Amino acid sequence: MPVRVVEGSAPSQRSGQDASNGRVLPPYSLLSVGRAFAGTQNVSSLQKDEAWRVNVRIQGCDLDNGYLCGTMEALNVPLADTPVVTFWEGELIDAKNYTFYTGKWEATPDDDIRHWSKFPSFGPLLSQVEADGGKSLDLSNYPFVFMRWKEQYFVNVGIDCGLTIAGFYYVCFSCSDGSINGFYYDPNSSPFQKLELKSANEGLSGFTFSSYQLQ
Amino acid sequence: MPTTAASNRPEDLTARLSEVGGVGKGEALLKVLREVKNQIIGNKTKKLRYLHLGAVPKIVSVLAAVASDGGDSAIIVQAAAVIGSFSCGVEDGVRAVVEAGAVPHLIRILSYPDEKVIDAGARSLRMIFQSKLAPKYDVLQNKNMMFLLSLLNSNNENAIELAVRIIAHSCDKNEEQNALCDAGVLQRLVHLLEGSLNQRDASLGSIVAIVKNNREVAMAFASIENGKALSALTELIHDRYPRTRYLACMCLIAIGQLSCYAQDLQTKTNLMLVLVELLEDSSHVGDDSPFALLDIITDKEELQLQAIVINVVEKLCNYLEKSPIPPRRLQGILLALAELCSKSEICRCQLISPQFLNTIVDALKHVSAGVRIAACTCIRNISRSVKNLCAGRLSNEAVIIPLFQLLNDPSTSVQEASLGAICNVAIDFTAKKSALVKYGGVPLLVQLSKSIVPTLRLKSLCALRNLMFISDRIGKENIISELTIPELASLICDSEHLVQEQAMALVSNLIHGCVDFIRLVFAEDGLIINAVIRQLKSDYSTQVCIQGMLLLCNVAAGDESHKEAVLSYLIPSKAEGCSSLIVSFLQSKDQFLRTAAVWCILNLTDPAGINSPVRVGRLVQEGGILLQIKTMVNDPWLDCKYRVRKVLEQCMITQNTKCEALMSCS
Repeated sequence: MPVRVVEGSAPSQRSGQDASNGRVLPPYSLLSVGRAFAGTQNVSSLQKDEAWRVNVRIQGCDLDNGYLCGTMEALNVPLADTPVVTFWEGELIDAKNYTFYTGKWEATPDDDIRHWSKFPSFGPLLSQVEADGGKSLDLSNYPFVFMRWKEQYFVNVGIDCGLTIAGFYYVCFSCSDGSINGFYYDPNSSPFQKLELKSANEGLSGFTFSSYQLQ
Repeated sequence: MPTTAASNRPEDLTARLSEVGGVGKGEALLKVLREVKNQIIGNKTKKLRYLHLGAVPKIVSVLAAVASDGGDSAIIVQAAAVIGSFSCGVEDGVRAVVEAGAVPHLIRILSYPDEKVIDAGARSLRMIFQSKLAPKYDVLQNKNMMFLLSLLNSNNENAIELAVRIIAHSCDKNEEQNALCDAGVLQRLVHLLEGSLNQRDASLGSIVAIVKNNREVAMAFASIENGKALSALTELIHDRYPRTRYLACMCLIAIGQLSCYAQDLQTKTNLMLVLVELLEDSSHVGDDSPFALLDIITDKEELQLQAIVINVVEKLCNYLEKSPIPPRRLQGILLALAELCSKSEICRCQLISPQFLNTIVDALKHVSAGVRIAACTCIRNISRSVKNLCAGRLSNEAVIIPLFQLLNDPSTSVQEASLGAICNVAIDFTAKKSALVKYGGVPLLVQLSKSIVPTLRLKSLCALRNLMFISDRIGKENIISELTIPELASLICDSEHLVQEQAMALVSNLIHGCVDFIRLVFAEDGLIINAVIRQLKSDYSTQVCIQGMLLLCNVAAGDESHKEAVLSYLIPSKAEGCSSLIVSFLQSKDQFLRTAAVWCILNLTDPAGINSPVRVGRLVQEGGILLQIKTMVNDPWLDCKYRVRKVLEQCMITQNTKCEALMSCS
């Protein structure tokens, strides 16, 4: 979700993998393409409390390459005429493609540990991550999925909209209930802006699945 | 006294070939043969004229007759030379020569005592064996192998080159490669790399033929003189002659593709650079080089990344700017680019710039079907980028209209390739999908979904499924009204499993996020739901069952009537007397099928539903489903385990609510 600070950013080097490998269901079915999430991002500053409503939709999922992507819609952005939609790409911390250490986007290892430690589910992993960056961890059966989401571009507004997507999110997805928590990191923005999302059923009385297949 | 000069018209000369066949007319025959030879050398029109007149069988008869009775060597030499000339540069000529049975006679004269005859025979055969129409020479026959070795080791340059060409032409089976390797042919060929240009190039072609797809032979080659043979090839990729460079590349590619000899990245990098340079060659070498490049990079992600690092994409793109490009070369460049952006987002980003994308889109309209297919493949792979699709960079009329025009292409292969690209650009992630729908894409795709060609049915349905993905209400209505319920039900029951899957996925996308469309699943006497249930009961394809269960899961996310309907299908009445469909899915070894089945139960047991207590009761009593679910509480598949626990939690809530309700009533 965009915030109101202007700052450039470098895109991910592993962006845009083949985001549909033809599997009907991915290992985490609540994190499959088409799934929607709704919630808020707290953008409070010292001056005032503020939270923006946020909708997220997963648009691509290639877990073999640790890749996920989607759109994020911020609904009540002050000074914006319409909801602001951004496209983001995610890196799954799977100890194979990506580790807990970001190594880019102006995030130091200390920044990483401080943000990951905000998630209670990260606690049991902390010592191993501090020892080897978590490279020896087997996260395939861990009930939480850790990710970094980096917004890449604005979908429906120009880059001169007065908003920035310079930062990125440390994200934790709960496999059991599909909830997503995140913390936005941008050295030039308010620290620890919290993102809270819940799996949404879009007006239906249950969970539904949709999919596409890339050729 | 002056006499009438004999006519040199092809008709007359051809006629005289028969007339002068008798004994004692050698001089006249020689004259006719010499005249025919002089007329056809370098003259394709004349060659075709003589072919039309049936001259070739007559000349072959002369050769056979004279050679069999040890006749005049000069006539044999001239006849062989004429046959060779007919075989040079004209495929119809080779065909006529081969059909007239010239090859065995020419081979026979190679054993003649006269060196001139041997030379003429070898030259003629060399021409014939340059063509794909030449007969295959069976090197597995001992006498043939001996003969071939004798040619290879002779002092006659033409005979040596002939032997090398015969090997290149005739060796394609593993046992033939082994036999030639065992006979020491590779060493001789390596030695010939130091010979004349013709010998060198012919030897390189033969090395490719012997080594290709043969691990043992490749190892034998790599070990010749402690790797000197390989070093020689590596040097030859920088030879001054383009054809030699190309053929040396082909040899190294053939060897490098075998796991026994892993070339280092530097060698492969050099190969790629040389092949890209060879694009500038105006001959066949320039046409073939992009295909050789394709051989190197196909399915090799590391090399594809390396190719990007050394600017191969940029160089190929720059070459595309030149005009006109010969069709085969253009096809090869587009296929190489397609392969390079099959996985790499960096490459896709380079190609999606308007400058290059326009050139690729132009190639969709090319007169050559091969080029059209290659352009489609290129666009298909560029559009694998969700990032670009989401930005709507490919769903514009400049790309979509020419792709749609190819759906009416007379070639099924072009139609298939076009559908491959359309499948991807159909996923434009914007709810309206305007461009594709606006230009009449839906009726065209629906029409192709009824094709008798399974791949066309499959891909057109996949495109419709992708188009349905997160579409808005109008878009969904548009597709379903065009496709119709009966047609969709028929596709769910298609003879091909993959088509069944796509049809079910399309229905799932229809329902997703829109409760109103669930009614369509039950419309027209339940055509769709009955088709799905029929497939689930009869189908042995796990993937179809998973897709079917996800479809039922989506239906079970509807209102109470929808949930009741799904339950009634999943738990057969006692009268039907058959076992519960869903229990077998819950017991499946496939974790995704188990998970899909549990998701369906999860929606059926949603405690918010008014009739939820009744449904939970039925799940407990009638189908033994809940009993089965309880056994899955520690399912090894994490996703399945969490859904199972959620189902049990929901059932408990529902049952507690029911108890409280009963207690409050009493």
